[in-house]
Amino acid sequence: MRLLEFDYFEAENLEDAVAHLKKYNGSCQIIAGGTDLLTALKQRLYTPACLVSLDNIPSLKNIKEENGAIFIGAMCTLEDIINSELVAKKLPALKQAAWEVGSPLLRSLATIGGNICLNTRCRFYNQSSFWRSSREKCFKAGGSICHVTNKQESCVATFSADMPPVLIAYGASVRLIGPKGTRLLPLRQFYTDNGRFPNEILTGSGEILTEIEIPTPSSQTNSTYCKFRLRNSIDFPLLGIAVLLILDKGKFCKDARIIITGAGSAPIEAVEAREKLLQQELEPQLIDAAAQIAASEIHPMRSSFVSPRYKREIAGVVLAEALEKAGGIRE
Amino acid sequence: MKKKIRLIVNGEEKVLTIDVQQTLLEVLREDLGLTGTKKGCNQGECGACTVLLEGKPVSSCSLLAVKADGKAVTTIEGLAKGGQLHPIQQAFNEKGAIQCGFCSPGMILVTKSLLEQNPNPTTAEIKEAIAGNICRCTGYVQIIEAIRSLVP
Repeated sequence: MRLLEFDYFEAENLEDAVAHLKKYNGSCQIIAGGTDLLTALKQRLYTPACLVSLDNIPSLKNIKEENGAIFIGAMCTLEDIINSELVAKKLPALKQAAWEVGSPLLRSLATIGGNICLNTRCRFYNQSSFWRSSREKCFKAGGSICHVTNKQESCVATFSADMPPVLIAYGASVRLIGPKGTRLLPLRQFYTDNGRFPNEILTGSGEILTEIEIPTPSSQTNSTYCKFRLRNSIDFPLLGIAVLLILDKGKFCKDARIIITGAGSAPIEAVEAREKLLQQELEPQLIDAAAQIAASEIHPMRSSFVSPRYKREIAGVVLAEALEKAGGIRE
Repeated sequence: MKKKIRLIVNGEEKVLTIDVQQTLLEVLREDLGLTGTKKGCNQGECGACTVLLEGKPVSSCSLLAVKADGKAVTTIEGLAKGGQLHPIQQAFNEKGAIQCGFCSPGMILVTKSLLEQNPNPTTAEIKEAIAGNICRCTGYVQIIEAIRSLVP
C-alpha cells in the first residue's frame, strides 16, 4: 500500500511548527521518526493534508543533566537513548525499555517523543483499510460501535508504548508547546485513559511534545522494565511492567512504583501492590503477595490477541520477575 | 507535492525530484532501479527492505525519502566490487545461509553494520543484530554460522 499525497513542511523552529499545525486546523500532524506513523498512514487510519517534520530543530536531540534533573529532547532516537552513557548510568530501566522496542532497524529511526505519543492499539483498528471494510466502522475510526465490547459509548484500545511506564515510574514530566505557550505536565497527566483520544496531543490540543524532564534518581533507586510478548523482538508488549524501588540497606522497601503498560487505555499504576511492599523487607513471599494483588488491579479488554484472563495471569508472573530483578534477587 | 533531494547511494551522488510521500524503499526500487532492496511487509516488521543509512541499518519502507536528504545510503548493490562478492556475501553462500534469498540483502547489510561496529560479536550479539530481520527458510542457524565464520 502506498501513501496518499500530503504536503511536507520542515519546520526551522518550534514556533514555526506550531503555527503550521494551526494553519491546517487539525488536518496536519507532526512526523518524528515516522516508523509508527507511516504504517498507520498506509492503513489509512489517518489521512493528514500535511506532515510537519522536526528534523531541522537540533535542540530537540539533546540529552543532558542539569540542576538535579535529566532532560531528553523529544527527537532523540531510541538508539540515542540506548547509547547514552548518562541514561545507562542514571536511568538504566529507560535504556532497557528503549532496547525492547521494535527491532534495531526501527530503533535507529523511532524517537522517544514518538513512543510517548504512540496511539492506543486494537486488533480491530490497526488493520488495513481493506480488512476493516468488512465490518462497520469502529468507534476509534470515527464510527459508532466498539467491536471489542459491542457497545457504543467508548473505545477500549490498548496503550502499548514501552517508554512511558518507565518514565512515569521515574516521575518524569513532559514539556509541551502550543498556541497558548509552553507548559510542563507530569507524564501521568498527559494520558487521558480514553482509548480513542489517549493523550493530550491526540485530543487535538495543537501542541508539540518537545522535551522530557526526569528528576535524577537517588543512589538508593533500583529500577527495571520487564516486557512480555510472544516473540522476543519486533512485537508491541502484550504486557510490560516498570518497577522502581527505593531500598534501604539493600532490602527494606522505603518507596516503590509499579507502572503497567498493555493492560488498559493508559499506563496503570498498581497502587495496592505498591502499598503491600512499603516498609517491608523484600523477600519471596512478599513478592508473590504483591504480584497477586497487581493481577487484580488491572482490567484488560480483549483488544489484543490474548484474553484478559491470560493478561492477568501474566501480570503476576511479570511483576514477580520485575521485583526480583529490581531487588537484586535475580539477574 | 514534489521535492528535490540529494542522496549518496553506494558512494554515488544522486539528485532526484520525488513526491514527498514516497518512501526511501520506493525511491530506491522505482526511481533508481535498485531492486536488490526488497519490499516485504511494508510495515517495518520483516527487515527485507533494510538499507544502511549513514552506516546504520534502517527499514527503508518506514522512512520517507525526504528524511534521507543529504545522507549516505548503502544498498546490497553496493557490496560486490569488480564482479567479486563481498566477504559477507561469500560467507553466506558457503554456509548455506541463502535459500530463497528474499531476506538476504537485509541480513547481509545488518551483518556489515554489526561487524563494522563490533568486529568480534558474541552469538548473543549476532542474534540481537538480526532480531529485526525475518527469514522463513533457514531457521537462522546457517545465517548465524555464516556471521560467526567472519569473526576472527
